[in-house]
Amino acid sequence: MTHRLFPWLVPLSLLIAWQAAGEFGWLSNRIMPAPSAVLRAGFRLAESGELARHLGISFQRAASGFVIGGGLGLILGILTGASRIAESLIDSTMQMLRTMPHLALIPLVILWLGIGEAAKVFLVALGVLFPVYLNTHHGVRNVDPGLIEMSRVHGLGRWGLFRRVLLPGALPSILVGVRFGLGVMWLTLIVAETIAAASGIGYLAMNAREFLQTDVVVLSILLYALLGKLADTIARWLEHVLLPWHPAHARSLSSSKPGEIP
Amino acid sequence: MNLGVDVEVTGLCRRFGGKVILDQLNLSCRAGEFVAIVGRSGSGKSTFLRLLAGLDRPDDGDVRVEGKVLTGLCPSSRMMFQDSRLLPWLRVGDNAGLGLPKSERKRSLELLGQVGLADRVTDWPAILSGGQKQRVALARSLAAAPRLLLLDEPLGSLDALTRLEMQQLIETLVKESGATTILITHDVEEAVALADRVILLAKGRLAHEWEIDLPRPRDRSGQGYVNLTRQILGKVLVE
Ligand SMILES: Nc1ncnc2c1ncn2[C@@H]1O[C@H](COP(=O)(O)OP(=O)(O)OP(=O)(O)O)[C@@H](O)[C@H]1O
Ligand SMILES: [Mg+2]
Repeated sequence: MTHRLFPWLVPLSLLIAWQAAGEFGWLSNRIMPAPSAVLRAGFRLAESGELARHLGISFQRAASGFVIGGGLGLILGILTGASRIAESLIDSTMQMLRTMPHLALIPLVILWLGIGEAAKVFLVALGVLFPVYLNTHHGVRNVDPGLIEMSRVHGLGRWGLFRRVLLPGALPSILVGVRFGLGVMWLTLIVAETIAAASGIGYLAMNAREFLQTDVVVLSILLYALLGKLADTIARWLEHVLLPWHPAHARSLSSSKPGEIP
Repeated sequence: MNLGVDVEVTGLCRRFGGKVILDQLNLSCRAGEFVAIVGRSGSGKSTFLRLLAGLDRPDDGDVRVEGKVLTGLCPSSRMMFQDSRLLPWLRVGDNAGLGLPKSERKRSLELLGQVGLADRVTDWPAILSGGQKQRVALARSLAAAPRLLLLDEPLGSLDALTRLEMQQLIETLVKESGATTILITHDVEEAVALADRVILLAKGRLAHEWEIDLPRPRDRSGQGYVNLTRQILGKVLVE
């Protein structure tokens, strides 16, 4: 037995045990369908095109909410991080708003925007806004003042200072915010789609629940897990690509290639 | 080639929260002169250098560079710090060329070659040793052909051997550049080895100064060198 396979041992045996429990009828199909049943449900939905449709809609909601909320958080964070005036104008408001759980706004958002796309995108954007804002603000503010001073002495103007020092210096922290934001994004979407939706993965699960299709319910849960994992992988990959100089993210610092300034 | 500026400091005062750090300080440096400033820790040496760079404003008095009163950052000056302050996200070559227009980047590469780092141009700063980082910082501050070079204990954190190498490098490169140079150091031997004039800063004023007219390169075991070093060290300790 090689060490590389070792970590798979426990999940694999669990999976086998689960399948066996289904086969021998120890586990009622109504409570927990066997893995093979879940897989079959997946193929069935994929064939009918339903799977792609719901996945696409969920993805679209997640992406547009993330871009809007993340973009706004990034811009505001940079502004308040770099300018004292912007900070005293905006930061305390943001700090107050962030203490409010955005999911608590769901009833109000449904009143305002109904249960259409706008409501879901709004909720996701709101959820993503704060982690991205806070980490961007924090990142820009915590750039080593010694580096800023040095850059000023070396003739960098405002724009050069921003592009060469503040932004790259804040990037590790910004990416932490992006990762948090991606987590919040899925969580918000799950809740919003479960409570009120006529499409998307959450709807798929709720609809299946009404018809006691446990296999589709479990499939939806697994899909959410998969998408969450995918988002996290993308975030990690971004860190590798954008922070090649960072000892914590670089695969190997010494294998340097002639490259462009990030 | 003499690129240096002359620097005239008159009645310079700087206070921090009622504590007087610089008190009516006067100093004038000829163009191209190499001045070393020694003094106890906390005597205001860094404060003085920051005022010369225009990073800080005096409470009273002024700094004139080439006869013009300094009101903002001094554009013809570059500064080197005790820590190298390389930008970790720029490769060595880009660090050395910081603030230079594309057309002048060649000079920074030449200088990296002169400090012996030609083969490290594409490395990240994180993998350099402390001495190598300071050599990049030296190349960076010379690349823009500064007319006033301000060095705030640039060798303070290096081991003895690396420090000796760096002193030689500074001596040749600075002389070559012709810049007026002000070096702060804790090391009196270093001051005597490099400077045309050594100044002792104490109680916010210029307490003593010594012209060092020993021939270069300086023989560190020669009688003149040893005597001067001892004399200055004695003064530093009593002030
Ligand atoms: N921004 C500041 N605010 C308040 N006090 C300051 C500030 N900068 C310097 N000081 C004080 O001024 C005094 C002189 O500091 P300075 O850094 O100039 O000393 P120094 O001669 O460079 O010392 P060292 O040799 O240890 O570097 C110190 O007492 C320091 O606490
Ligand atoms: Mg100092």
